[in-house]
Amino acid sequence: MQKLLEQIVAGASGWVELRYQSRSTKRITVRNGKLEESSSVLLAGLGVRALVDGVFGFASTSDVSEKGILAAIDAAQGAARTSAPSKKERIRGLADAPMATGTFAVATDDPLDGHTLEEKLGLVIKLDERIRSAAEEIVSSMASYGEIQDEKIIVTSDGASAHVFDSKPELRALAVAGRNGDQTMGMESSGITGGWSDLLGITPPEKLADDAVRLAVDQLTASHAEGKSTVVVLDPGLVGVLCHEAIGHTVEADIVLGGAITSDKIGQAVASELVTLCDSGVSEYLPHAVGILPVDDEGVLTQKTVIIEKGVLRSFLHNRETAAHYGVAPTGNARAFVYSDDPLIRMRNTYIESGETSLEEMIAGVKEGYYLRELGMSGQADSNAEFMFGVREARKIVDGKIGELVRGATISGNAFDVLKSVDAVGNDFAWENGAGACGKGQAAKVDAGGPHLRCTMTIGGRQA
Amino acid sequence: MSNDRLLDRCQEALDLARKHGADQAEVFGEATRTITSTVEKDDLQISKSTQETRIGLRAFIGSQVGFASTNDLMQLEKAAADAVTLAKASPGDPHNVLPEPADSPSVEGLHDPAADAFSTADAVQQAIRMLEAAKSVDPRVIVGEGEFEAETRRRVLVNSRGIEAEELGSLFTYGVLTTARDGDAVSNMAFRFDATRNVGDIDVEPPARQSSRDALGSLGAKPGESFKGQVLLDPYAIISLFAPLQFQLNARNVLRGMSRWKEALGESVATSEFTLVDDGLLAGGVATASFDREGTPHRRLPLIEGGVLRSFMHDAYTAHAMNATNTGHAAGSAGRPPAIGPTNFTILPGEVAKQDLISEIKRGLLVTRFSGNADPVSGDFSGVAKAAHLIVDGKIDRAVSGTMIAGNVFEALKNLSGISRETERLFNYTFPSLRLEDVSITAE
Repeated sequence: MQKLLEQIVAGASGWVELRYQSRSTKRITVRNGKLEESSSVLLAGLGVRALVDGVFGFASTSDVSEKGILAAIDAAQGAARTSAPSKKERIRGLADAPMATGTFAVATDDPLDGHTLEEKLGLVIKLDERIRSAAEEIVSSMASYGEIQDEKIIVTSDGASAHVFDSKPELRALAVAGRNGDQTMGMESSGITGGWSDLLGITPPEKLADDAVRLAVDQLTASHAEGKSTVVVLDPGLVGVLCHEAIGHTVEADIVLGGAITSDKIGQAVASELVTLCDSGVSEYLPHAVGILPVDDEGVLTQKTVIIEKGVLRSFLHNRETAAHYGVAPTGNARAFVYSDDPLIRMRNTYIESGETSLEEMIAGVKEGYYLRELGMSGQADSNAEFMFGVREARKIVDGKIGELVRGATISGNAFDVLKSVDAVGNDFAWENGAGACGKGQAAKVDAGGPHLRCTMTIGGRQA
Repeated sequence: MSNDRLLDRCQEALDLARKHGADQAEVFGEATRTITSTVEKDDLQISKSTQETRIGLRAFIGSQVGFASTNDLMQLEKAAADAVTLAKASPGDPHNVLPEPADSPSVEGLHDPAADAFSTADAVQQAIRMLEAAKSVDPRVIVGEGEFEAETRRRVLVNSRGIEAEELGSLFTYGVLTTARDGDAVSNMAFRFDATRNVGDIDVEPPARQSSRDALGSLGAKPGESFKGQVLLDPYAIISLFAPLQFQLNARNVLRGMSRWKEALGESVATSEFTLVDDGLLAGGVATASFDREGTPHRRLPLIEGGVLRSFMHDAYTAHAMNATNTGHAAGSAGRPPAIGPTNFTILPGEVAKQDLISEIKRGLLVTRFSGNADPVSGDFSGVAKAAHLIVDGKIDRAVSGTMIAGNVFEALKNLSGISRETERLFNYTFPSLRLEDVSITAE
């Protein structure tokens, strides 16, 4: 296939980018002891991007014969030509980049295909069983396993010819506890880039189940959070969410050009000097981050991009088009989820670098506040960096000690104000390693993380 | 792909499943053609065309079931074999059944023949019109993103019990995401959208202009006040805030022990003015179709009537397990096994004008968009009221920023103090404005 794509690209007029993808997805879900889903999905096809008269056109097809590919190139070039008269700002060129050639594969000595369906099913059944039998209060349980295995071939007119293999498995555990008509939910998940034993090693499945149960049960007796602005200590999971949702999206160059709050802030102080925030195609600090991406979907070799360096905004996240617009080098952030998606600027692994304070010192310094762990049901943020996140686990801190659990807590504020309020950065580090995906019209498997962080923000809750 | 061919290929897949050892099987096929034109940062961005045919196959061996899907029609045999292999490895469940054939109502107006000639150039023209409409409202408006999409989709469902159903639909969807910027002040993002099935009904300008007005309305908003009071929710805010209702009404969640309404059929769960209907046959509805994801006919189904819980949403599995009527709520694409979901989800209007609902509020908040969490199980909601305005002594006082609201959806249903007579259709939702009591409002 790679040879065929290379030949077609060599014979094509103008600039074209061909991306073949073959994806195998498997899902197993067991709920309350019953199998809800056991599925296998095979998806293969080709996405074509063409640049004609300074305008991109895109077409995709599931017909990957030579004839089908040529027809898709025609369609993409036709779409570009049709759009050109209406396009105000033409693309003057694509930024030069280190284009990838060769084969890139996720390193694992325990590939997912080496394990049978029965083994995977057995694990999910056991996990569901463990949740259900863990406590009297559990009224419903769910465990699921999912895997995505990708093969991509990316060939462009200007030198990329990369063969990429990826493997991303994940596990989820969900517990619902009930008492006197009241119901509460606890959910934990684990997702990685890697193989089977890597997944089981990153968080033991039993721990996922037990943590979900504990969260659900503890919330039954928890009081509601009280709304106010206060000092909080965020765990690495929430730090990651803040980096990704509230900061990361505002530095994606397409969003920046759409009027994000960061557009004229390069070189300015936007955060506390303690904060250095990066986005990387590599799994920094610890292995198996979900967002590992050696080559992006424009065929560009990825790199570690320092977004905020000691509080100063240094870089946006670019594809080849926006990099040319700003006169900088592409950062390798162009990504497409399936073959029928055109590449967009997306994050990979987004994090804050470790600092010097221990978690104990951080907590000890809080007279009254909250310790907040992991994202709850959802999180959203605006291009002006205003965010709102549900919190999975919120505990009061009183006189330097972590205390009781409260339920229904959400946090909100402006992410840059929050980063300016940071007065301690932990000497630890963790990836969130969550299941699920980031959505921006199309999905992307990303990761985020960091150390613990102490800052000030608004807790949403109830007024007395 | 032309049509008879999709039906033939689905029948072929059904035969292959039986050849590989399935005693019952179901094949859902979708052939989709889309043309999309997108806008980014005040300019046309990219035009795209995609064509795909997908087949989703469920194989049953006794009470065991497995699912496989592919978009490569050369691989039907492999998909059939995969589904059978998955079924064999799976624990059985006596409620894994397929629906029997039933007469589907005939539904008019799903496909506009003019859609077949809709071209990339047409999509580009609509995208440009949408962009210009949004920009015409005020020069401070920036259109961050916008999209116009034309889709035609053929759906085919065949099963081994004799269902053979086929339908062609066209759909045009469009929307823009805007912000307003004035010096250092940046507004909230605003998003408005609409959809129609007919080429002649495409009208991209109203949502584009409304999105710009929403963005401008939140520009310069100052923090609000903290109090417990009344909230008037606009239709758009209700979609996310009332998501727990869909969860509770899903019969799967009743079986899962996750619905608080498990024993509540025939009981009051909302104020007597509240009626919620799911109507899979709604004229012009974006979710309208004659049959569901399993081939069961769609219908108009009152879920909550005068505040009383009347029905859950069922598919073949839950109807069998709960000894209830299959209401035709199997949903989803050919890429996943069927799941339960709503069609055109509708809260019937009340009798009071929205303006009168506002004028009765002494101190409260008007919420246009809700960005937050609504816990589907507990019903607790908490999040930011976007494009919110403070209401004082019956009048809209000023725009407020960063204001959070919190409460409980199920308590709110029993405490609704007003339903507007005006409604708005947002994709598959048709909602009036609702007035809630005793909501916690927290300023930044």
